[in-house]
Amino acid sequence: MKPKTVSMIALGFSALALALGVARLAQADDAKAPYPSMAPLDQYLMDRNAEIAMARSAAPEAISRDADILVLGQNGYETAVKGKNGFVCDVERSWMGPFDNNPEFWNPKVRGAGCYNPQAARSVLPIAYLRTKLVLAGLSPTQIADGIKTAYAKKQLPPVESGAMSFMMSKQTYLTDRGITSDGAHNMAHVMFFTALMDTANWGANLDNSPILLNPQFNGFPEPVEVYMVCTGTWSDGTPAPVN
Amino acid sequence: MNKIIKTISLGGFAFVIALSPAWPTQAQDSGPLYERMAPIDQYLMTDRNTEIAFARTAAPESISRDAEVWVFGPHGYETAAKGKNGWVCIVERSWMAPFDDPEFLNPDQRVPLCLNPPAARTHLPLTFKTTELAMAGLSKTQMFDGIKAAYDKKELPLPEPGSMCYMMSKQQYFSRKVGNADPHLMFWFPQKDHQDWGAEFPGSPVDIHQYSPQPITEFDISVSKWSDGTPAP
Repeated sequence: MKPKTVSMIALGFSALALALGVARLAQADDAKAPYPSMAPLDQYLMDRNAEIAMARSAAPEAISRDADILVLGQNGYETAVKGKNGFVCDVERSWMGPFDNNPEFWNPKVRGAGCYNPQAARSVLPIAYLRTKLVLAGLSPTQIADGIKTAYAKKQLPPVESGAMSFMMSKQTYLTDRGITSDGAHNMAHVMFFTALMDTANWGANLDNSPILLNPQFNGFPEPVEVYMVCTGTWSDGTPAPVN
Repeated sequence: MNKIIKTISLGGFAFVIALSPAWPTQAQDSGPLYERMAPIDQYLMTDRNTEIAFARTAAPESISRDAEVWVFGPHGYETAAKGKNGWVCIVERSWMAPFDDPEFLNPDQRVPLCLNPPAARTHLPLTFKTTELAMAGLSKTQMFDGIKAAYDKKELPLPEPGSMCYMMSKQQYFSRKVGNADPHLMFWFPQKDHQDWGAEFPGSPVDIHQYSPQPITEFDISVSKWSDGTPAP
């Protein structure tokens, strides 16, 4: 891959990184340590009905109205509404972002609404459950990463299924403190695709003019999952969204 | 998307999905049907280099410049440029459209694709087999039967995980009705995987086509720019 401006977007709970040398920028931000540790749990919680509505807004209503809805409570994610189409919608928090070089790992403002298709609900959502469980146990990011790694080694987490994907088209999502679109928004409407680790050149991600972006959310550190994103150009309510 | 017609070129298959898509109506709207192949000259491009350049426009130059390129000649597809990144770019003709597409065998159709390595391994054999049947002068029904038999005998592979392609050429042409359509990405799966991408629901950015007799599910997602980086309408 040619060195270039890399549109690195840590979305949905992942940090978003724009531009070459993201890691270095992130390290610089890290030095300021805006969120050095987990805030009080209350800062990460939402009103239950507001969280249900926000979770549903991740996908067009035709999909999310029949989805399972998860909400985050004092003891982790719980099913708030039982669905019937196999999709699962939730609002993920900042600890679903990358472990490394991510100054927003504990940012309590992050809210990433996602609706996972059945393949992703079975094989990607368990990552969210486990990360959250470890967070609520009071572990550090390093300990959480170790816990995830161990879970994969013991096959307590499933391999990502072929065709796993999710919608992240909520206008209400807040992904990062940084502006990530041309109008400085903290969000962008997109779909995400999850694959086993592979050469990212296989999808042409992050190359000049490619519409596919590699999200560094997991990327083998430690989850053996690649996350790709494609902007949709519309929010879940059908209104136009900026694409970059 | 409040769409009347969504054109999706898939895997070299171009197809049209309408909200009321009874295809005989479309056929009436779209002009003549093409039961058999027209004289082969009508499917050829006049210049080999033009076809190579055209094939490369399916993907951003950052991908297609290192791709292998195939061109269509009087005896079928042949390699015109060796690549080095595992991608393959090709301009498919209308016999790659679904068999129930009124544009099937339309000699005007030109659909460039750049296939990623998994798709190059598993989609190109279908392209070549279908081309072979079309060039043999078979009827649409005979071609359908030939493709079905090839899958039944496992002579044609199912899509590998991660199979996808770019169709972002500003010059792509599907039909009089939909013209250049829009730039998009396509993803292929075996139908037996029963993938659910929320396709075709109101507001969904994903479209789907279930092929027949090919046991393939295809998802299509529009993108905002052509391969040269200019905005798409």
